[in-house]
Parts: sequence; structure tokens; C-alpha cells
Amino acid sequence: MVARLLDLITSGLDGYHRVLSALTVSLILTACGAREVVVQGNFPKPLMDPLPLTVGVIYTDEFAQHEIFDEAAGRAESDWLVKTGDAQVEFWNTLLSGMFEGVVQIKDSQSLAAHQNSVDAVIIPAVADLQYTIPLHTNIKIYEIWMKYRFKMVALEDVHSNEDGDLSINPDQYFADWTLTAYGKTPTAFLQSDEEAVNLAAVVALRDAGANFATSFTRVPDIATWMTEGVQPLSSEATENKGASDE
Amino acid sequence: MSKITRRCLIAGLVVAASILQGCVNATVDEMTFLEPTEGIGDASVVIMGRRHAPDYETEFDFIECIGDHIRRGDNSISVLHELEFINMMYPWFEPRTAPLRTDDIDKLLAQQRVADRFEELKLEYMIWIDGSTVETNSSGSMTCGVGPGGAGCFGFGTWGNASDYEATIWDFTDEIEVGRISANTSGQSYMPAVVVPIPIIAPVQGTACDSLGDQLLKYLSAKM
Repeated sequence: MVARLLDLITSGLDGYHRVLSALTVSLILTACGAREVVVQGNFPKPLMDPLPLTVGVIYTDEFAQHEIFDEAAGRAESDWLVKTGDAQVEFWNTLLSGMFEGVVQIKDSQSLAAHQNSVDAVIIPAVADLQYTIPLHTNIKIYEIWMKYRFKMVALEDVHSNEDGDLSINPDQYFADWTLTAYGKTPTAFLQSDEEAVNLAAVVALRDAGANFATSFTRVPDIATWMTEGVQPLSSEATENKGASDE
Repeated sequence: MSKITRRCLIAGLVVAASILQGCVNATVDEMTFLEPTEGIGDASVVIMGRRHAPDYETEFDFIECIGDHIRRGDNSISVLHELEFINMMYPWFEPRTAPLRTDDIDKLLAQQRVADRFEELKLEYMIWIDGSTVETNSSGSMTCGVGPGGAGCFGFGTWGNASDYEATIWDFTDEIEVGRISANTSGQSYMPAVVVPIPIIAPVQGTACDSLGDQLLKYLSAKM
């Protein structure tokens, strides 16, 4: 449709004017379109004594392809699409591999079978909520991203493989279920676009999530119990209450 | 006005703009002790900004400016790059986890890998800079236009900036605070425009950087 519109507008003009008009129309269309940020960053490995554990990690499709779409509230605003999925997976792989002696990714029934006797527990991260603000929203010269994660842990033997190869877990079998929040902000800077600033705020938020996770992991009551007494599955009621309290 | 005269006028205005600077008031307070009279030898120093407050954060370029000022003043002082240091020590110097008091150093050193990294870096002093530069006021208006004969602006704008920074020096070997230096600067910038805008900028943050940098250099360097 855009191509037809361009043809319609530029028909009958000479080459130079045609290009100029096309550029102008593209600029106008770009200004009205969604603004997209694919979060990218370099994440350092944590400097800490690794816990003597081998953990499996399951990244659900929802987590690995996580994105937030925010529809424009008015004519002066743009739609925003912030894709954090790839950065989330890259970041948590780097963090977990520095926190534990061993980390394996459990993707399907094959990897589940391959690590049957070598994994102490499985972590399943999820992004429960993500909010962002830009100076246009707040009139403060700061870009902010706030994220809430929900982590669940389960023994490997409680992860089951379906006939179609997908993995499933009975909610009664989680032995730890907790949330943590992360915050990242970046001030406006000269020659910095909104997209670059939102990306930077997201990277700061991811780093903050990692710092929070790494420093609080062994203090989570369910984890502390697991590390001292072994697996004590949570009741389904406790899991449901946890979910409800997060909302 | 002939074309040559007009070009000379514009060139003069551009040169004037590059020379003129607004005035800055600066106040520096210093309280330091246990000064390393022989300098810091082959040990290193890291300068970092505080970024845990919700409403401001110490600018990365300000920290870099102070580091460069110290390096220029005494190239024997090894000043670690802030971002490289933070990445190297992740996650212990993030806004959430950075030590706020010297008492927290022990907790950090309890992590063997962190202690080993500090030893490897020969880190002797950690300098925390807390503060920011803000715009205090602005007024005036300016109109710019483009026509077939050229482009130009007319009007007048003015704005004020204020910097307020405090440097806290930690001695890592003795795990104590050995000094505090603060610098407060303020200044008014102007931008008159008759055809060409002439910015007369008050280097408020630059003066704060030089003031803090001079005092830190005096403390750390055996040459001063």
C-alpha cells in the first residue's frame, strides 16, 4: 500500500523530485510508525565463588521471545515495541554460569534425558511484568525500565516430557517460587535517541536483576531450606497464593 | 553591507563565540588526613560515581574528566577506568550492591575472588564522587529563519547551571575513610543572537572537575 501511495504521489515528477518526495513521505511514515528496540548489551560474568551445584535452566518460549508492545496513547506519541527475549537469555546464561559450578540448558526431551543424573535442580525464570517510561511520559529527563521476575525451581525428576517433546511440570512439585524486581535508568544525553536510551535502561535493569539474584539467591527461604535439607515441594496452595500476591 | 564585510562580521562573531566564556563561582572544601607523602607508588586508584539515588546520578563523563585530570597531572598514578572496573567486579559495584560505608569493605573481601581481584589490581584508594550538575534557571527567546538570501537568528537566551559534588576517599588497605573534598560551582550562560547566535557558556561542570581533580591530585601525588 505504501509503495502504491508513493507511486501515486511521485508519478509525473522527474527523478530528483521523485526521490525527494519519496524520502519526505518515508520520513512522515517513519515518524508515525512503531518504535522498536531490540535490547542488546555486553554482560559480564559475575565475580563470585560458584555454588557447588549443577543447575538446569528452562527458558520458556514466552521468556526467550519476551517483548512488550505499548500502543500510543495519542497522536503525539508512537507505539513502542521493546524486545528483551534474546538479551534475557544471553544475560541469564552468563550470570548463571558464573554463579554455579555447572549450568545446562534443558530445551526438550533429549536434553532432559541427557542430564538425568547430573543436575541438582532446574530453574525456570519468567518475566512477570515490565514497565518503561520515557521523558515524554514523565517530563523528567530520565528513561526508566522496571521489571519483575518470577523464578521457580523444581527437581529434574519432576520435569516431564510430553509425547510431542514439550516439557511440563506439575505445579505441586515446585520447591521454590519467588519474585524479584529490577530497575534501570539512564539520563537523557546529547545525541542519544529514545531507542538507544531505552536499550541502555534495559541493560542497566538486566544487570540490576542479576545483582539482585546473585546476592539474594541463598537467602530465599525455600532455597536455603533446599540447600540444607533437600527438596521440600511447595503445596499448590502456597504456589497459587504466591502468584496472587504478585499481581 | 558588502558581502566581504558581512563575511568578516560573521567570522568575527564565530571567533568571539569560541573565545568568550561565562563566569563561574567555585567553592572547594577539603578535609583529608593520612596523606601518602611518598605518593601511591605502583598501587592504583579507582574513581566511581554514586548512582543509587532515584532523582539523579553522577555523570560518567564527569568521573572520566576527573580521572583524566589526575593522569595529566601525574602520569605515574594509575587511575582505573570506571566502567572497566565495574564490569570486572560485577555484581559488587552496581547501584544496588555498591558499598556505601567503609565497614562494607570486609563483606566484599569475604568473597575470595573479589579479594584476589583487588590484590591483582593493587587497589589502594577508592574515591566515590556523589553529586550532579543541574540547570537552575532559563529565560529568553530566540527566533531562527531560513530564506532565499540566507539564514539567521535573532533573540537572547540565558540559563544557569549549578554543580554540587563531593569526593569521599577510602583507603582500601586500612579500610578507613581518609578524606572528603567538596566542590560547588555555579554560573550563568548567555546566547545573544543577531544573525549568528554567540554562545557564551559558563563551564560550570568543567570548573567543578578541575577543582576536585586538583585537590585529589594534591592528595595522591608525591610531585605536588
